[in-house]
This record gives sequence, structure tokens and C-alpha cells, in this order.
Amino acid sequence: MSTPLVLTYVGFLIMAAVAICGGLIAVSARNLIRAALGLILSFVGVAGLYFVLEAEFIAVVQILVYVGAISILVLFAVMLTRGLMRRDLSAQNSQWIAALVVALVLFSALLLVATGTNWKVAETKIAGDLIPKLGEQLMTTYLLPFEAVSLLLLAALVGAIVIARE
Amino acid sequence: MNLDLNLQVIAPALIVALSLLLVLLGEVFLPASQRRWLGYLALIGLLGAAVVAAMLWGANLSGFGKMVVADAFGLFLTLIILLGAALSVLLAFDFVRAHQLDTGEFFALVLSAVVGMIGMVTATDLIVIFLALELLSLPLYVLAAFKRADKRSLEAGLKYFLLGAFASAFFLYGIAFVFGGTGTTNLGRIAAVLGASPRSDVALVGMGLLGVGFAFKVALVPFHWWTPDVYEGAPTVVTAFMSVAVKAAAFGAFFRVFLVALPELAADWRALLAVIAVLTMTLGNVAALLQSNVKRMLAYSSIAHAGYILIALVAMGVNGAGSALFYLLAYTLTNLGAFGAVIALSDGTRERLELNDFAGVAKAQPLVAAALTILLLSLAGFPPFAGFTGKFFIFGAAVESGWAWLAVIGVLNSLISAYFYLRPVVQMYMVEPAGGWNRLRVAPFVAFVLAIAVIGVLALGIVPAPVIALASGGFLK
Repeated sequence: MSTPLVLTYVGFLIMAAVAICGGLIAVSARNLIRAALGLILSFVGVAGLYFVLEAEFIAVVQILVYVGAISILVLFAVMLTRGLMRRDLSAQNSQWIAALVVALVLFSALLLVATGTNWKVAETKIAGDLIPKLGEQLMTTYLLPFEAVSLLLLAALVGAIVIARE
Repeated sequence: MNLDLNLQVIAPALIVALSLLLVLLGEVFLPASQRRWLGYLALIGLLGAAVVAAMLWGANLSGFGKMVVADAFGLFLTLIILLGAALSVLLAFDFVRAHQLDTGEFFALVLSAVVGMIGMVTATDLIVIFLALELLSLPLYVLAAFKRADKRSLEAGLKYFLLGAFASAFFLYGIAFVFGGTGTTNLGRIAAVLGASPRSDVALVGMGLLGVGFAFKVALVPFHWWTPDVYEGAPTVVTAFMSVAVKAAAFGAFFRVFLVALPELAADWRALLAVIAVLTMTLGNVAALLQSNVKRMLAYSSIAHAGYILIALVAMGVNGAGSALFYLLAYTLTNLGAFGAVIALSDGTRERLELNDFAGVAKAQPLVAAALTILLLSLAGFPPFAGFTGKFFIFGAAVESGWAWLAVIGVLNSLISAYFYLRPVVQMYMVEPAGGWNRLRVAPFVAFVLAIAVIGVLALGIVPAPVIALASGGFLK
């Protein structure tokens, strides 16, 4: 292994560990604020993975949207809901053993497939600045999904207002 | 530049989206007393979209780099969805007023769900299918919880949201695996890559995860747990809309993805889906036997019907897809009619949902009782109604493709189902009511929906040939 590859590998391991630890905190913490903070840690780990994969733009978006916006919203929602902050809540119920078994089976199946496959690798690196190309693709090839998202956001907005209004 | 701006292909969805925007604007600018016009506006949008969809018939257009097509299969389902939505809107006219629901938001959410549904049945790219799935799901989560004063409605919305989000995650994971294995999200190209390369486990896992996502949406066993609670808790009009339109949309995408993109893996998924079809039919029908609440009974019945339609997917081919389209049309008319009858028998906001509430209806409301009887007989699959012809075509397709045992189990299940479909009929005609029945005035819109449903069920049952010819013409190439 060449040195940059080793560095990439180490970076991947660190970031994956951060993401997994964050996820574990998010599901096991009894205090909702701690769970939300664990979720933020997990998001940061995923953003780090994107950096390691040289998808800097996606990584920055991940931090802006997930760490910046969504996590703050979650924290606000928890803090604004009366009585939710101090109470200890358990994220476990009587079916946790069955769920664990199913999750482990599914995980090992996916792991077997993922490690046993010759994944397609792009032969050529895209030259030049990526972000303008991404924008161009969004407005040409992926115009329809792009516009569909705007309708989706409108529906979500109307729905959120209906649910939240007194 | 790859700009393939063929707006004609998405014209039906665009018209519905336009009426959605107009309804939202109307909600803002119209005084509260005039808001009932928003329902008419929604109806006009749906009818306009139906006219345009009918005009596109036969042209076989595709657009946006083959991300959407307007083929016969997609257009037939588009028309079913628009019919279901239009009848639901008619049922909702008086319902939203009686239950004091927010008119503008209600119709706007229905319309946005319809846009998503049309997208699902006409999309040929997994990314667009996923976005359409979300666009149909999000408004429905809210619609299920629309009666905010009612705890069960809120519970229905929350349950549907949590499990639906879970299902979407599975679906997205499946897309990721299929993309990883084939390098494309276009259904046609996925099939080409899978056909040219050796069997890949990645695509198989992707197929499984996509299947789980679809199974949640159409309520197949073992992913059906949400259905009874959500159908019972949601406002009755929403349940009616959800039970028919979501099925048509999700089955449309289910058929298209499996028949167009994954025919190479057919040997794997046919056996699996056959088992799921048996479980779904049997569990749906047996559980429906035990219900005393009509909405819950219809929920389990809708699970059983999803099982019958799944037989058509296992059968594959022209007959499989054609019979599924015919069945979905018959099911849409019948089920909406049945929910329409339940709404017709409700007294203001007080709904009669328990079986013994139906005692003596035949004397007080002879027409509604007759309509409900016809519709329930059709759901049970008695001739000469649409439900019978629909099952006949599906079981026929199964026998022809060598899945006769599946057809036999389907027939046995229809026999079981006759028992619980006839229970309300017995109550209506043969049991004396405990209290007196004061005669209700059935709202003209609801009566209209019932009339359309009954006429449609009879017409499809007696002269199915022209419709099945159209439906079979919609086979996916």
C-alpha cells in the first residue's frame, strides 16, 4: 500500500468509528438531548466519510444541512416540548431481542454481499471543477427529479403547517 | 446538453399540480364561506388531467431522457388513479364540512398525492420513482392525521409516518444496491446490464430491498401491520382514497420495476412473491373474519385483495399485467363505493362502523343497502359483478403461466371472504335494529359516487371485453 492509500484507509476507519459511535449513542441514550447530540456526531462521521471519498461538495452539504439545520431543529423541538427534556426515556421495548436477531441476520447478509462483490469503479476521474458540472446535470439530465423535489417540499410544507397549527 | 424537455409526457401530472397551486391560492384569497369551490377546482383539475391522459393514449411518448413514459400501462393506471381521486373528492365535499376539516389544505394534499401517484406509474427511473413515492406518501401521512381533534386519527398518521419512512429507507437502500450492481437507475438499462452479466448477488439484494419497500406500501404480509390501525383511525374519506389510489400507484411501480428492470431475476422473485401472495390472501381474509368494525374489516379485505393482485405479478406476461390493471379498476370502483356507502350511512359526524349498527338499514335506506350489497358481493367475487371478472382474469393468467396451485388457493380464499362480506348484508336485511332508524338524507355527491360505482361494477362485470382489451394492450415492453 502506498502512503496516501494508507492515510485514506486510516481516515476511513476513524470516520466510520465516529459515525457508528454517534449512532449507538443516539439509540441508547435515555436523555433525548444526549440522543440528539449523538445523532449530530453520527452526521459528522458520515460527512467525514464523504471527505475521505473525495466528495467534498456532498460532505459540506451534509454538514450544512444535517449538522447545521436538521440537528438544530431536533434540539429546538426537544427543548420546546414541555417536560421532554428532563425525562428519561427508554428506546427499548419488549421486542428488542427479536429486532436484534433480525437486524444481525440482515446485517450479515448485506456484509457478505458487499464484501463478496467486485464493485464497479469509474475508470476515469472527472477532470476540472465538479460543482458547476453537478449544477449543469441537475438542470439538464436530472431536471425532472430536481423539479419533483420542489413539489415534494411544497407538499411537506403544507403538511407541516396542517399538523402543527393550533 | 441533455435537455429532453417533452412536457407532453407529464401533462396529466402538470395539470394536477397546477390545480394544486390554484387550490392553495384559493385557500388564501377566498373568504371562508366560498371555500367549497376549492373542491370543484380540484375536481376540474382531475378531470382535465384525465382528458389529457386519454388524449395521450396510443402515442407511447417518452421524455426527460427516458425517465418518464406515457405508455398504455402508465396511462391506464393514471386514469384509474384520477378516477379514484375524483370519486374521493366527491365523497369529501360534504365530509370536510361536516367534520370541520380545513378545506383548502385537504384538497391541496389530495392533489399533491395524486401528482406523486401519476409519477409512480409513469416513471421509468428509480430516482423518479422514489421521489414520486415520497410525494404520494408525505401528504397521506398528514391526511391520515387530518382530524387533529381525534386521537385515533393522530395515532394513524404517526404510525403510517413512522412505518412509511422505514419502508422508504428500505426502498432507497434497494436503489443503492441496484445502482451499485448495474451502474444505472434507468429500468431498461438495468435489465440490459443484468441480462449481459453473470448473476449478481448485489442486484438480488437490491431486488429484495425494493420488494420490501413496495410490500409496505401495498400492505403485503408480513409488512401489513400498519394497515388496520391506519385505515380505522384515518378520516373515512381518506381511508377510501388511500385504499384504492395508493394500491394502484404502488402496484403500478411494483409491476414496472419487476417486469421491466428485473425479469432476469424472475426465477427468484416469482417463487418468493407466490409465497407472499398466499400468506397475504390467507391472513387478510382470516383476520377480516374476526372484525366487527367495518373499517377494520375493509382494511383486512384490502390486504387480501393485494394478495390477489400479487398473483397477477407472479403470472407475468401480457395476461398478468392486463388482468392486474383490470382488477385494480374493478377494485377502485368497488372499494370506493363501499366506503361511500359507509359515509352515506353516517349521521353528521357520527359514523356507523360497527357491524350491528347496520341492522335494519334495508328498511330505512333501501337504495344505499342495495348498493352496498352489490359492492360487497363484487368484493367477494360473485358473478355478474366486476370483482368476479377481475378474479377470473387473474386466476386465468395464473393457470396459463403454470401457477395453477396459486389460483386454487386464490379461489379458496374467495370462498372464505364471502362469509365476512355477507355479514353486513345479513345485518342490513335480516336483523331488526335495536333502536329506531331515523331516515337520513344522503348527500347528492355521495349518492352520485354510489351510482357510478354500482353502474361501473355491473358494466365491468357484464361486458368486460373492451376494458380487458385496453388493459392488456398496456403490457410493458
